[in-house]
Amino acid sequence: MEAPPVSVLPITGGTINMMEYLLQGSVLDQALESLLHRLRGLCDNMEPETFADHELVYLLKGQQGNPFLLRARRSLSHPTVPWHLRYLGQPEVGDKSRHALVRNCVDVATSHSLPDFLNEMGFRMDHEFVAKGHIFRRGVLKVVVSKLSRILVPGNTENTEPLSLSYLVELSVLVPAGQDTMSEDMRSFAEQLKPLVHLEKIDPKRHM
Amino acid sequence: MSGSGPAVRVSIESSCEKQVQEVSLDGMETYVPPLSMSQNLAKLAQRIDFGQGSDSDEEGAETEPRDPQEWGKQEPEEDEATVKFQPSLWPWDSVRNNLRSSLTEMCVLYDVLSVVKEKKYMALDPVSQDPSAGKTPQVFQLISKKKSLATAAQLLLKGADKLSKSVAENQENRRQRDFNSELLRLRSQWKLRKVGDKILGDLSYRSAGSLFPHAGTFEVIKNTDIDLDKKLPEDYCPLNVQIPSDLEGSAYIKVSIQKQAPDIGDLGTVSLFRRQPKAKAGTQPWHVKLEAAQNVLLCKEIFAQLSREAVQIKSQIPHIVVKNQIISQPFPGLQLSISLCHSTGEKKNQRASPEKPKPDDHLYVLEHNLHQLMREFHKQTLSSIVMPHPASAPFGHKRQRMAGPMAYDKAEISNLQQNEGLLEKIIKQAKHIFLRSRTARTIDSLASRIEDPQIQAHWSNINDVYESSVKVLITSQGYEQICKSIQLQLNIGVEQIRVVHRDGRVITLSHQEQELQDFLLSQMSQHQVHAVQQLAKVMGWHVLSFSNHVGLGSVESIGNASAITVASSNGEYAISVRNGPESGCKVLVQFPRSQSKELPKSDVIQDGKWNHLRGPYKEVHWSKMEGRNFVYKMELLMAALTPCP
Repeated sequence: MEAPPVSVLPITGGTINMMEYLLQGSVLDQALESLLHRLRGLCDNMEPETFADHELVYLLKGQQGNPFLLRARRSLSHPTVPWHLRYLGQPEVGDKSRHALVRNCVDVATSHSLPDFLNEMGFRMDHEFVAKGHIFRRGVLKVVVSKLSRILVPGNTENTEPLSLSYLVELSVLVPAGQDTMSEDMRSFAEQLKPLVHLEKIDPKRHM
Repeated sequence: MSGSGPAVRVSIESSCEKQVQEVSLDGMETYVPPLSMSQNLAKLAQRIDFGQGSDSDEEGAETEPRDPQEWGKQEPEEDEATVKFQPSLWPWDSVRNNLRSSLTEMCVLYDVLSVVKEKKYMALDPVSQDPSAGKTPQVFQLISKKKSLATAAQLLLKGADKLSKSVAENQENRRQRDFNSELLRLRSQWKLRKVGDKILGDLSYRSAGSLFPHAGTFEVIKNTDIDLDKKLPEDYCPLNVQIPSDLEGSAYIKVSIQKQAPDIGDLGTVSLFRRQPKAKAGTQPWHVKLEAAQNVLLCKEIFAQLSREAVQIKSQIPHIVVKNQIISQPFPGLQLSISLCHSTGEKKNQRASPEKPKPDDHLYVLEHNLHQLMREFHKQTLSSIVMPHPASAPFGHKRQRMAGPMAYDKAEISNLQQNEGLLEKIIKQAKHIFLRSRTARTIDSLASRIEDPQIQAHWSNINDVYESSVKVLITSQGYEQICKSIQLQLNIGVEQIRVVHRDGRVITLSHQEQELQDFLLSQMSQHQVHAVQQLAKVMGWHVLSFSNHVGLGSVESIGNASAITVASSNGEYAISVRNGPESGCKVLVQFPRSQSKELPKSDVIQDGKWNHLRGPYKEVHWSKMEGRNFVYKMELLMAALTPCP
């Protein structure tokens, strides 16, 4: 069969070695409106998109020290859409001059039987939370502004309370392994958001 | 009281009437004892104001002009009183003098006033004011007026000063102010941002969904190279934009279809450039420049996409990509060339092309379609189908995300992806355009070449990029209502033509021009025979036999011959027609036996009624027949053979 024609959309999932570049920051609730206006102007011209997701974090405790962590996420606003399973590796300790956090990333779309499957495989749910907010894109850059809420009764996503009085802002890009051109673009984009929100590389290990 | 006459001694005594003090009950009046001399004098002396000098006589005269007569009466009384006591009251001399002078004054005043009242000897006229008299108040007025005017003048001068200063400032800072307003206007149409102390802008289609890696940033600079003394030129603009060097000039994409070029070494030439469209009056030069640069960027993106597809997609006949041209073969013998013509404006194209391209060589429709397709692709990347739900998922079409859970196989996945790239679409459109124009040319050439029957083509106004349709009618002139059995609907697709006949047959023709022509010729010959059939109905003749594809006679190279036999109403005559696309038409008439002379007399046939049967055939010299077309001739023939009642 002939090779399929080239599509110019970014190719995802083609290789298993995708790297995720990540910058994070936060804004207080009062500053959300101005941030959204800013992002609306800076990002691609689309209708603003809101989302409501429910994420479950599964752990597999092996005999060795570090447990294996998987994140399962489903959309509350689109219940029929497939679940999303994500593995995030350790952040790469490359050169310190790199402006964003780089880590290996594997994304898989799954059917709705994912929690049962993971339970059968031996994973145990560690914690879950609900994230609601807005999502923007600019080319291949993705900006997610989300409010994380704690679930009070396990399994019940209606009964939630916010974890903090601020919104989490994440700027991320998925690129195949080897390309290193994105960190400059991310940094320049983060510069444009500078007075409203400071996006920076936050090493999760340091905050453990 | 004139003193001219002799002195008249006037003695005056006071009335002895005493003042009544009291009236008793019995009518007795008690008088007030009169004042003694000394008492009287004392009383009068008390009246005199010794503090006043003799100047105050005038005022004294003015203040009491009311009772001059009383004064006049009392004066002599007092005067007498003082004169009597003159020797003993010597210290009263000054008093006496003052009194006398005041009397004089009073008399004078009284005289003047009486004269004025009578108006017989003297009249008062207004006298012009002595300027020196009113000197003091007028000078004051003048000075005050002068001061106020001076203040007003000062204010006005200050205002005028300010105005003139601002006008001068305007003249000087015209560029400064204009720069800002121009910048505002620029910002209302283009994306600008400030980086450091530079103003950068974005003229790429990135925010509209393009994924082309070109940055497309331009810089806004102030136009300071202007001489203040010289008059500013008409098209002076305080703002200038600096576009990237590779986007300068203007560009367009030329799509053209030519016969296969025999010389392959001729490829890669920059075609002759067409003239640039003049900018509309009123548009700023920076706008024209930026639009041209944006167009160049879009053309580059289109060409990059086309060349990428040309190289990567495998097709039966490979596409050739040479420099700024992409060449492919839609049909054998035909060549489609898509080239990016970019001229930087100043230097003319040095290389002269070998032959001048025809003016209608350039298919503007396809160029426009390329632009539209690119923009559609941009819009697709911005559609919300791409947004991930849940939010942590990567971007991508939402149907692709279903591939995992729904376990699609490779065929289904490849179906999901875009099947056609830009190049394929454009090639298909070019094929269709070419096929359509060739079909039209074929029909037109046939119509002009063949007069009988006539061929009409009604093209539909609304077409698709890949499909057009035309309705072809074959008729005879003058008999359109009778002979309308051949009506064809042609649907011209990308590579084939589908013909739907009126009687329901569907025929698919290839892109070959000859096929269509042969088909139409065969239909025309069938039409003639059908026309005879319809005519027979009208004329009252009976159709004895009819065949669309006759198996007798010589074989036609195009299509088949058709034949019909019709007999007159009384059966005496019969006409047979055989019409073929190549062999033409042959008409035979069958006469009754009684009219033919060649029949040998035989004694087998004894009865006379057998002579009424039809006998031998005779061919008609059709070309010598009167009538402008076949059906007309046929009608005349039928009419000639129909017996008169």
